Amino acid sequence: MVKKKRSIHETATAVIVDDVTSDEEEQVFADLCRNLAEIRKEKAVVGYIVRNATSATIDLKEPEKLVEYAILSSQVLDSNQEVSDLFELGDVQSILLEGKEIKALCMVIDENKIGIFMEKDADHADILKRVSP
Amino acid sequence: MNNEVYTFALKSTLEEIRDACPDVSSTFIFKDGQILAKDETTNEETVNSTITAFNAMAERADVIGSLETVTVQGANGQVKIACMNDFYLTTVSSKDADEKYVNTLTQVLVPIVIKLVEKIHPASADDETFTVEPEPAEEELVEEEAAEEEFAEDEVTDEVADSAEDEAYDSDEAETATEPTDEQETLEEEEIPEVDDELLLPEPPVTQLIVENLGGLLVPSDTVRVDKALIAEWNEIYAGKKLEEVDIETRNGKTTRCKFKPIKDSKHEGKGIVRIPEKIQVTLETTKGELVMVKPVVA
Repeated sequence: MVKKKRSIHETATAVIVDDVTSDEEEQVFADLCRNLAEIRKEKAVVGYIVRNATSATIDLKEPEKLVEYAILSSQVLDSNQEVSDLFELGDVQSILLEGKEIKALCMVIDENKIGIFMEKDADHADILKRVSP
Repeated sequence: MNNEVYTFALKSTLEEIRDACPDVSSTFIFKDGQILAKDETTNEETVNSTITAFNAMAERADVIGSLETVTVQGANGQVKIACMNDFYLTTVSSKDADEKYVNTLTQVLVPIVIKLVEKIHPASADDETFTVEPEPAEEELVEEEAAEEEFAEDEVTDEVADSAEDEAYDSDEAETATEPTDEQETLEEEEIPEVDDELLLPEPPVTQLIVENLGGLLVPSDTVRVDKALIAEWNEIYAGKKLEEVDIETRNGKTTRCKFKPIKDSKHEGKGIVRIPEKIQVTLETTKGELVMVKPVVA
């Protein structure tokens, strides 16, 4: 992984500072991926997408539907932030979408946007517990 | 079903839900992007924004087999949009709300009310339509008057017959009396003026329908589409008459006359809609989802 660097310019000297938060973010992302990989092993889970500003990990049962799943999870997170603002729900912890065939659990942990797709009879509450920090 | 009936029943239900669950801060119901009912505390702008957000998600939800329910869990509460009998019920509750209780109440009460309202008006349950009964035709009135006159004549005849002393005379005279004389016939002919056929026709029934878009390459821009059942109803009223056009009137008083044809697509049947091409919508200054009054034009 490439470390992000931020340069702070002052009057005469340039100081290069390592972005400490970047390490933490990478660690959170890595933990999430590990967690999701475990969850993905469950039969009822059909896949997941996790992404942040620099990385993304995708594991789907039907990779040909990647774009559709990605667009849906992105739209869900955007639209529901708006809904949350409208009704003053505060920080959105999770969003559950139930379709006729599949349900999707979407959430944001730190800067990581997550979409987990599962069959209708899957225990989404248990999955939520396992993913939540 | 007339929208007002639904709105009233659903609005009352939403108010009851709020009364029963103080932790529910807002409830509303929408269908096809239109607000059907909302409780008094909920702002219309907020509802419209929620519908827009929901529609944006629903448009992209084919991959999960079309969207049925959305639950947003926030730090301070929850928003749930659930599909019920083609309606979408939105419930906003605080974090302290008993989720199971709220769900049980809403998911039982609202579908029951919808079913009840539909049962009360079974004939127009799906079509959001009410039909104004035509006034009795002039022909019927004339017939009724004639029947009344005949009845009065019979009474007079009976009195004459009773008072007669001679039995033979009585029976003969009575029969004679009931038969109209030439003079009476002439009088009746004079009393009943000749009425034009058109005047004898019943008043066209006015039907309230919801505007639905009608588009496509081969769609004539001067023809609207209405339910087959409604056309059959008109044909029954005006048996033998040619019905090719309808008058459409908006709530703002804009009117137009255009041709009509039956709705082809079965998914649009029985919904109480009139499918109108864009050109006519522009003329009428109306859009999808608005109500218009439609009545047939008898040729």
